[in-house]
Amino acid sequence: MAADSDLESEVFEITDFTTASEWERFVSRVEEVLNEWKLIGLSAGSVNPEKGEYTSGTWGEKCLDINFADFKFYITHYFLKQECEKDNGKDKLEEDSFPLAMQDLLCMNNDFPPRAHCLVRWYGIREFVVITPGTNCEAIISESKCNLLHSSVSIALANSGCQVPMFVQIQQKWRRVYAGECQGPGVRTDFEMVHLRKVPSQYNHLSGLLDIFKAKIGCNLSPLPPINIAIRFTYILQDWQQHAWPQQPPDFDTLLGGEVGGVEFGKLPFGACEEPIRELHLATTWPHLAEGIVVDNDVYSDLDPLQAPHWSVRVRTADNPQCLLGDFLTEFFKLCGRKESTEEVLGRGMPEEEGKENSDISSALSKLTEPAAAVPISKLSVSNIVHSARKHIRRHRHTDESPLKTDVLNSVLLYLFPDAAVEKSSESSRNRTAPTNTSGTAEQEKTPDYNLYQHLKSAPSDSLTYRLALCVCLVNYTYGGLRAVAHLWQEFVLELRYRWENNYLVYGLAAGPPDLRCCLLHQKLQMLNCCIERKRARDEARKVLEGNRGRERKVSGGGPSDRPTAEAAAGSTREVSPGKSWDSWSDSEDEFFECLSDQGEGEAPHAEGDKEGSKVKAEGRLHPQGNMTLLNSTEPLYIPVTQEPAPMTEDLLEEQSEVLAKLGTSAEGTHLRARMQSACLLSDMESFKAANPGCALDDFVRWYSPRDYVEEEVEDEKGNMVLKGMMSSRMMIPGNMWVEAWESARVTPARRQRRLFDDTKEAEKVLHYLAVQKPADVTQNLLPCILHAAILKLKEEESVEDIPSVKKSIQQVISQASKLLHTLSHDYKKLEDFINQLMALETAITQARSLKAKFATCEGGTAEDTEELEKFVSSLLEDPEVVVLGAGQGPAGSIIHRLFINSQRLADFTSDEAALLSPMEDEFGLEKKPGGGSNKVPDFPPPAGREILLRTCVPRPAPYSKALPQRLFCVLMKEEFRLAGAFSSDTTFF
Amino acid sequence: MDDDVITTLKLLIIGESGVGKSSLLLRFTEDTFDPDQAATIGVDFKVKTLSIDGNKAKLAIWDTAGQERFRTLTPSYYRGAQGVILVYDVTKRETFTRLENWLNELETYTTRNEIVKMLVGNKIDRDDPEVDRNEGLKFARKHSMLFIEASAKTKDGVQCAFEELVEKILQTPGLWESENQGQKVRLGDQEHGGGRACGGYCSIP
Repeated sequence: MAADSDLESEVFEITDFTTASEWERFVSRVEEVLNEWKLIGLSAGSVNPEKGEYTSGTWGEKCLDINFADFKFYITHYFLKQECEKDNGKDKLEEDSFPLAMQDLLCMNNDFPPRAHCLVRWYGIREFVVITPGTNCEAIISESKCNLLHSSVSIALANSGCQVPMFVQIQQKWRRVYAGECQGPGVRTDFEMVHLRKVPSQYNHLSGLLDIFKAKIGCNLSPLPPINIAIRFTYILQDWQQHAWPQQPPDFDTLLGGEVGGVEFGKLPFGACEEPIRELHLATTWPHLAEGIVVDNDVYSDLDPLQAPHWSVRVRTADNPQCLLGDFLTEFFKLCGRKESTEEVLGRGMPEEEGKENSDISSALSKLTEPAAAVPISKLSVSNIVHSARKHIRRHRHTDESPLKTDVLNSVLLYLFPDAAVEKSSESSRNRTAPTNTSGTAEQEKTPDYNLYQHLKSAPSDSLTYRLALCVCLVNYTYGGLRAVAHLWQEFVLELRYRWENNYLVYGLAAGPPDLRCCLLHQKLQMLNCCIERKRARDEARKVLEGNRGRERKVSGGGPSDRPTAEAAAGSTREVSPGKSWDSWSDSEDEFFECLSDQGEGEAPHAEGDKEGSKVKAEGRLHPQGNMTLLNSTEPLYIPVTQEPAPMTEDLLEEQSEVLAKLGTSAEGTHLRARMQSACLLSDMESFKAANPGCALDDFVRWYSPRDYVEEEVEDEKGNMVLKGMMSSRMMIPGNMWVEAWESARVTPARRQRRLFDDTKEAEKVLHYLAVQKPADVTQNLLPCILHAAILKLKEEESVEDIPSVKKSIQQVISQASKLLHTLSHDYKKLEDFINQLMALETAITQARSLKAKFATCEGGTAEDTEELEKFVSSLLEDPEVVVLGAGQGPAGSIIHRLFINSQRLADFTSDEAALLSPMEDEFGLEKKPGGGSNKVPDFPPPAGREILLRTCVPRPAPYSKALPQRLFCVLMKEEFRLAGAFSSDTTFF
Repeated sequence: MDDDVITTLKLLIIGESGVGKSSLLLRFTEDTFDPDQAATIGVDFKVKTLSIDGNKAKLAIWDTAGQERFRTLTPSYYRGAQGVILVYDVTKRETFTRLENWLNELETYTTRNEIVKMLVGNKIDRDDPEVDRNEGLKFARKHSMLFIEASAKTKDGVQCAFEELVEKILQTPGLWESENQGQKVRLGDQEHGGGRACGGYCSIP
């Protein structure tokens, strides 16, 4: 064998391809691609695609570049992805069966697919290959080039035995003219095309087209095999004037016209300003007609759209219709990129205190120490101050007019600080408002949406921060953009400072330490509130103490777990007018938690003295700890009033944990860390000592860390079982931090201790932070809130319309927002895309709304009809094309009919004058359409497009040839006439 | 030395006072045991590099004080943690029954919801257990946690607990970020959505 092949190779015949032409190379390249894509041989697949499968199935696409000399082409394979095709195909693989494409020519299951490649629509094929000129290459126009290309395809198909039809695109691309071929065993189909600008009058109807088809197939059998006819007329409705867009854009001026409350400011606008549905396309189809059943010639037509057995509708939506919510968001988002500072925006002449504060906080602090303005407290109110502050600003801003008009500004501020509205009986009402915003328990009962802010890191939807975001958004859009925002912000900060200085809690913030799940700005506002609350509590407690000097505060009850602190206890005296701060704590260094300058008692004795000095007066008791008594006496063990630990915002926390982490992991580091954090422990120990004269560390541990006090039964010398307790071993290590702290702790009640939390300093820090925010910083800080509001708005609007796809998208949008907004620094490119998504949702909802308005049930409609119409509308939004049940007679059909009639009447009315100018206008098929009864105006306009599909199976070219599929697809439009024919012929018997 | 560290993870150790949180950490980081370890004040912090399947992860572990009074202080440090070790003392039922409270607190203060949680029953060297292993197992299953019993004194399960936790975090997409791609992982908040909470629980004898 081996020798044999050796011999053979010696006489090997050399084939010379060195002289192959570009053309030959091109053909072989095409064959190579067909091989590569495995398109060779019998094409397998289910015999007939299922009804509608071309739309519901997925289409695949493969593309490669190939060159003809230096001319680039794309070769693309389009195919319908079919499952389990192999199984179905096997049984049918007969030797001489037609290629699939030929069978597809006659298949009636997928006529007029709503979404498909044009070749699929024209020829009904499920798989094909197309060669098109490259992107920057000129079209193939000259006849010889077209022929050359066509021949290449022909040769490639013949050489490779590929049964998939292959097309080449010729003529200008926009004309979508293709020529192609499909080859099978002994059969061939030629795909030919005619494309004209105008419909020749003799072919402007079914009978003319039938003539062409018959002439083309050239069959002289008699009788001629039946020709199957499918017809679709498409009517376009553009004129919605009879159904004016239901939503009126809100009239912003009314906001200021009458009463201005919070409602108007608390809402984001929604809806389209223009019709979001551009066109309605009605396709009336006669899917299966035989020749002779209908008459359609140049003088008469049976093809009345109302009689068509099959109607389907698609809607064209307007591209990016102007929608209010989207506009608001975009404008707001634009602000995030502005560089200007508030000062630059508003021009020179900032109010004095602002300017001073920017340069030096300490001067602002010293200003605080000055005695308050000599205004009686009852006359002080937010609005007064705001007004005077504004006057102040205006004085400095001589030439410039304030960006925000006074009335607008007033209503915005009233919306933000509704507690200021109750001006007359200010004090008591203000006190009433304070508890309302501290009602934390009620929050849990609110809607599930309420907690959305945690996902978005925004702020609760009833919080000041959230309302501020809405106002900034509105003010930006409606009242003057950047300048107005800067102005509003300045006023906002002024109001906050006023509240700080006058002990008014900031309204609309949950009580307690800053909520780290909210945005930083919200945390800062909460922080300010914490400061105000403490300052206020301190002032009030002082006043009370001053009034009843030496009186021991008695607080009874309360479980061991709830340990109200000094502030809370002081809160019980809130009826007292907060008034002006009792003291302007200018120097925080020497400040005490609850200072009394004229404290009667002297410095309390130290711990060592406590043992015998049980007569020492106890101070700062909160309540007894159960029945517990001190170990060394019979005195009950009292839980002391303690200082609350310092509230922290996330940026402070970040700083602090960095500091703690920097101490390293060594023993010293650990020790230092513990020491740094022991301030709170020490303070508690001091309070405990003050509340429990004569106590020991053991007592403290029993309250503070009960598990570190071990009690066990031991037998005493008399043999009785007694409970003996002692501290855990770790607490007894000599010199451990707890012992150390205990020993250094003085006997000082919380109110005389140094403040752990310097509210004055922290409040000034917050106010400074706020004052130096640029408008862009403000909007960046508020962005999560506004996106939160937008999502809620979309949700609310969607729930009215109930659109499943939008509902699903909203869920996705929320989780996406959660990812975007939780990052340390926002990615503004992604956020912009995100806003675009929200806008798309808004558009989708407005489209639904518009369609619902158009397809609202008429008075006489039954419940069934209503249901059907609702289904119809919702599928219009989801599907590319929707079948109208009952065609022209169904509920949707009759509404569509009416829409067309109305539009026609209107067109007729307006064209009366137009007709005088151009009487030739209506020559296009109008007169052929049978009108609605005696009315001279037809119900429907002339069809925008007519598609006529002719199919038959006849022997070709000779009467004794095999009977083969023939097909002609005709498109008749006002400015286009296309005949796409596929004619098969027998290549064996001709 | 830190060149090949792929990420820095923030872990958290919480639980009632005296259950041995600091001892577990000391055993893990320094492989020592101090029966008289002082009660933690506030939070403490340790760092250790751990190698899992050849990937080195730097662990920044925050140890917290368990005393109720400190609870107003410590949750601030929960932010941004990717993993949490919840410790109870098998010899003190009360430390077990209060676990629900700790989970609630965790829920309230952590910033990410897919945080990986591990339940550790400590002090199994002691011969007076009050909480059965199965109870711990059941609790862990109910709350989708990893579970292990351990003893900081005898070393049992300590290394394994940390390794399992870190491995689980590394397997959870979106929970951590490689140090090479993008910015350095920070101790603070670095929220990234994605991966679901770990649904399994493991039981290592």
